[in-house]
Amino acid sequence: MATTLVIIHGLVAAALLGAVTHQTLATWVPNRAQPGSFFGRFRSVPSTSFANAIIALYAVSAILGTFVYLPFRVDVRPVLENSGHWQTLHLFDIKEHFVAIGSALPPARWVCWRQPRADDPPRACAALTSILTFTVWSSFLIGHVTNNIKGFGS
Amino acid sequence: MTSSNSFRRFAFAFGTAFAVVYVLALVQNLALITVYPTLGIVVLGMQHAQDAAPSMGGVPAMHWYGWTATAALGAFMLGLIAAFSPERLTRWIWMGWVWVAPVSAMIACVCLTMPWLHL
Repeated sequence: MATTLVIIHGLVAAALLGAVTHQTLATWVPNRAQPGSFFGRFRSVPSTSFANAIIALYAVSAILGTFVYLPFRVDVRPVLENSGHWQTLHLFDIKEHFVAIGSALPPARWVCWRQPRADDPPRACAALTSILTFTVWSSFLIGHVTNNIKGFGS
Repeated sequence: MTSSNSFRRFAFAFGTAFAVVYVLALVQNLALITVYPTLGIVVLGMQHAQDAAPSMGGVPAMHWYGWTATAALGAFMLGLIAAFSPERLTRWIWMGWVWVAPVSAMIACVCLTMPWLHL
C-alpha cells in the first residue's frame, strides 16, 4: 500500500513539476521570442491557465506525502538512522519544512494570478511562483534521493 | 468586490503568517499535536518520544504534523483578522511580505537544521 502511494505521489509530483516549471519560465522569460520558435510557443501559453491546476496538484501531492510520511517514519527512517544516513535524513527534514511553508502560498498565488490589481507589489506573482517552483523541485529531488538511498554511494 | 478584497487580504495574511508562525513553532517546540505512528495515536501538545511507552525505551514521535497544525491555526486566525479589518487599517502593510516571509522562513529552517547537517 505504501509503495503504491509513493509511486502515485511521485507521478503527481512529476505532473506538478511540469506545470509549475512551465509557469515560472513563462513568467520570467522575456517576451521577445520569435512567434514560431520553441520559446515563442512556450510563452504563448497563458500562465494564468496553470494557476488552478498547480493548486490542485500541489494539494494532492502534499496530502499523499502526508500519508506516506507515516510508514516512512516507522519503517524507513529507523533503517536510515541505523545505517548512518544523517545528511539525507536532515535534508528530508528541510524538505518537510519547505513543503509546509509552501503549502500556505497557493491562496495568495491564486489571488495574484486570477485577481491581479494595479497596486500589487511588482513581481509578487513571479516571486510566489518561483518560491513554489523551488519548493517543488527541491522536494522532488530530496524525496527521490531518499527513495533511492540504497543506490547512492553503496 | 468586498468579499474579493476580504479574501485577498486573508490570502496574503495567511501566506505571510504561516511562514512566521511555523518557524516560531519550530524554535519554541509549539506542536499542536504529537503523532505516535507505531501506537497509532495522536495526542494534544508537544510530547517527546520517551513520554510514550517508557518501559519500552520510548517510541517514535512525529512533531511535523503538530508544527504544521500550529502554523495553520495561527495563520488562519491572523488571516481572519486581516480579512475582517477595515481596508484603511491594512492598506499600509507592505504586500511584499507574502514572499519575503516564506523565503526568510525557509532560510531559517535550513539554519536550524544545519548544525546537524554537516555538509
